[in-house]
Amino acid sequence: MRTGWKAALTRTLVLGPLFVFIYLPVAVLVLFSFHDGMVPVPPFEGPSLQWYERLLSSDRFTNAAWASVVVALASSALATLLATLAAWGLARHRVPGRRWIEGLMLLPLAVSYLVVGLGLLVAFSAVGVGKSLWAAGIGHVVLNLPLAFVVVLGQFDTQQARLERAARDLGASESQVFWRITVPQLRSAILAAFLLCVTFSWDEFIVAFLLSAFDPTLPVVILSMLRTGLNPQTNAAGTLVFVLSLLAAVLFELLIKKRGPSEPTGR
Amino acid sequence: MTLAATATAPEQVAARRDARRGLLLTAPALLWCVVFFVLPFATMLVWSFYSGGGPGEGSLGLDNYRRFFTDASYTSALRYSLEVTLIVTVLSVLLAFPLAWAIATQVRPDRQRLWLMLAVLPFWTSYVVRSYAWLLVLSPDGVVNQTLMTLRLITEPLELSFHRATTVTGFVHFFVMLCTLTIYASLSRIDPRLQLAAADMGASGWQTFWRITLPLAAPGIASGAFLTFVVTIGDFVTPQILGGNNELLLPQIAMLQITRRGDIPMAAALSVVMVLCVSAAYLLLARWITGARR
Amino acid sequence: MKMSRFSPSASPSPLRRLTLALAACTAFIGLPAHAQETINALVWCDHTDEAFLKAFTAKTKIKVNVKDYEGTGTALSLIEQGKPGDWDVFVVDSTDVRSVVAKKLLAELDPKAFPMNDIPAAVRLPEYHVVGGKMYAVPQKFGYNAIAYDKTKVTAAQAKDINYVFGASAKNKIGIYDYYLPVIGQVAVALGKKPQDLKESDLPAIRAKLVEMRGNARMVGDVVTTQTALATGQISLLVGGGEYTVAGLMAEKPNLDWVLPDVGGIRWQQAIGVMADSKKKAAATQFVQYVLSPEGQAALATSSCYWGMPANSKAALTPAQKKTLRWDEQTAFIAKSFPYPSPSAALDKAMQDMWLSVVQKK
Repeated sequence: MRTGWKAALTRTLVLGPLFVFIYLPVAVLVLFSFHDGMVPVPPFEGPSLQWYERLLSSDRFTNAAWASVVVALASSALATLLATLAAWGLARHRVPGRRWIEGLMLLPLAVSYLVVGLGLLVAFSAVGVGKSLWAAGIGHVVLNLPLAFVVVLGQFDTQQARLERAARDLGASESQVFWRITVPQLRSAILAAFLLCVTFSWDEFIVAFLLSAFDPTLPVVILSMLRTGLNPQTNAAGTLVFVLSLLAAVLFELLIKKRGPSEPTGR
Repeated sequence: MTLAATATAPEQVAARRDARRGLLLTAPALLWCVVFFVLPFATMLVWSFYSGGGPGEGSLGLDNYRRFFTDASYTSALRYSLEVTLIVTVLSVLLAFPLAWAIATQVRPDRQRLWLMLAVLPFWTSYVVRSYAWLLVLSPDGVVNQTLMTLRLITEPLELSFHRATTVTGFVHFFVMLCTLTIYASLSRIDPRLQLAAADMGASGWQTFWRITLPLAAPGIASGAFLTFVVTIGDFVTPQILGGNNELLLPQIAMLQITRRGDIPMAAALSVVMVLCVSAAYLLLARWITGARR
Repeated sequence: MKMSRFSPSASPSPLRRLTLALAACTAFIGLPAHAQETINALVWCDHTDEAFLKAFTAKTKIKVNVKDYEGTGTALSLIEQGKPGDWDVFVVDSTDVRSVVAKKLLAELDPKAFPMNDIPAAVRLPEYHVVGGKMYAVPQKFGYNAIAYDKTKVTAAQAKDINYVFGASAKNKIGIYDYYLPVIGQVAVALGKKPQDLKESDLPAIRAKLVEMRGNARMVGDVVTTQTALATGQISLLVGGGEYTVAGLMAEKPNLDWVLPDVGGIRWQQAIGVMADSKKKAAATQFVQYVLSPEGQAALATSSCYWGMPANSKAALTPAQKKTLRWDEQTAFIAKSFPYPSPSAALDKAMQDMWLSVVQKK
């Protein structure tokens, strides 16, 4: 790894244009959320907070934000719980057909969200269950399971196995080994998995669109806003979502500082 | 991993109990997967073989699939989807690699995570709104055209919106960030001693890169590419907002069937086609994704 | 060393997380604890303004859930995907009321409950809303799918000449509104046919003209995408656009305007009714009455999704709003426009297939 001016130059030449590309739409988005006019294009007039006022006084928006938070938290919590148990089961026990089980767990990740959503839509209507936030929540657990599973499974390493074996040798029961050794070791991985799921669930559109009815989540309402009125209100919505997600990301950072570098996508 | 053939009875009993306990722990997750993913998928698969309103209304047969492969609107949608997805995957990886590499090698180790976070920050704006923001950025009155005109590089605004390139830009913007994460994960795990050793043995920087760095980064590249492929081919929002309905992709046609035509079996058939494409991609990339494991 | 990790610290155990999840779920159940009555309405996007709905809830304490659709076909899909009793109010195009009544979806309405006399005869049109002597829907709003354009890029003469959109000078300058019924209707009018009289044998000729038009189009889009495209200069002319596209934007973008082609344009009209299997017919009827009241009509006419003419001539609009809507020219407009086609199920399917094959280039 080089240091000094060569590194600085490489950094500027490579990272510069790429960062401009990455930040361009976000910068425009945030800037024009303060635009004093209906059509969010240059020249910029303002600044004005009218779109934020309108948005935050809109029941539809605040209800949808709340619905998104609830679905994200609940589905991520359940998915993380199930995934942790499954990862523990597969990593610390000799289960026949382990490869097949792992493959099955990862399958929803490999099949696109539209297929998952459509499958649930068809299945639910076949048994007469209506569209609702619950249905969307169930869909989100299906989508979150593989993510959480990958993250948690990746953290079962040999050092930990040695600690667990040592504990067992010293007479600890299975349950004690799990609660006193495994889970604390995995704490940051579990939290990372949970937050990763929350991030994906919070912004997930297609499954929520197909399966929810009158309690739509935020992305569904935002698309609906996009389809029913040309004004910077959607810019304001996007900016708010950004700020909230940012706070969650900062939280993620602070929480995993103890364990050391661990990338959100595991593998 | 298997027990020796000369295992004693108590060992066999212990092994069975171990397996049973493992299965018990895995059961809840598996059950959820089977009930809420496998069964619905199977139901959808069955529905795709019915024409008309579904089981009980239409007739059983390959009607939907036949319609798919004979109607130019559908086959062109498949072609467009594959073309766009491949272009997006290649471009995303090509742009993400230098970004990940620069962060992994040109930045101080203690600052790398910060730069990584900065690089993927826009990940967290609403996906829907971000696509819409690109439309505004690329419009004749938008930032790109206005800047180019102010710099006197062009006199008339360029037509940047409602092309395939617009959709590709929207996708690539998202997936560059995703691939940066996966590629960085692989790059940062490479033991620098391997690269030093290669240099000691006389390899040039280029050779070290091709023979050591790139192969070791392959799992990150492959998993990023696979994720990009899977998500792009199934995405409805980006082409809908940016494409101007000029080249309808598979997910858009599928959504048309669901919303406007109420033809769920046809939508199911389209989804099955999508899954087949994804499986093909997986079989191609599997070797590199799981390559370095064990 | 590693031993420090042995501390039985208070980690978020799975049990705690399960409790958190359950708590989150129960919090959600407890939140919208409305004991008030709620009705579900299936509507065009102009009924989704919150101020519009809140005014009704404030007066009657009835909450209205709305789901908007982009075309009658979508609305019917949504009804099919649900159960009887899912919907209470249905806003549907006047030209589709008869087929919806044939599907037994709408309930009979009592004309005396609504201000029928305030609706001009040209809009009241019993041939659409009255079946077998019974009234099933009340007209509530109308407007035009004609030509919306940018005055600085296309002249009024060009906009009024329907052949402009088929010609070479329009290449890459136009957009098409993504709704097959009015656009097919407009092409039919250009060919000298009446949209209401279309048969399957007319489709090939229409398709040929559509392909020509599509070849000149930069994009095909929904209400807001086409509005954005016109407002940001990506297209200069919108086929199927009308006052509904530009009226809300004209204050900020005075270069936008709309006009009926000389050969005639297409007129859209929405009606509102109560669903036959609704379990809250009284509440639904109250909502219909609100929509037809002078205040409701004024709000509907100037909704943020799209503007349009109110059916009730007593709508409480300001003079400026009436001017934007061209209130005084409506009689002339109605004379120069045709209603949407009302195709049979088979013809509708053929039209949709044709539309998809035209929109999807190549």
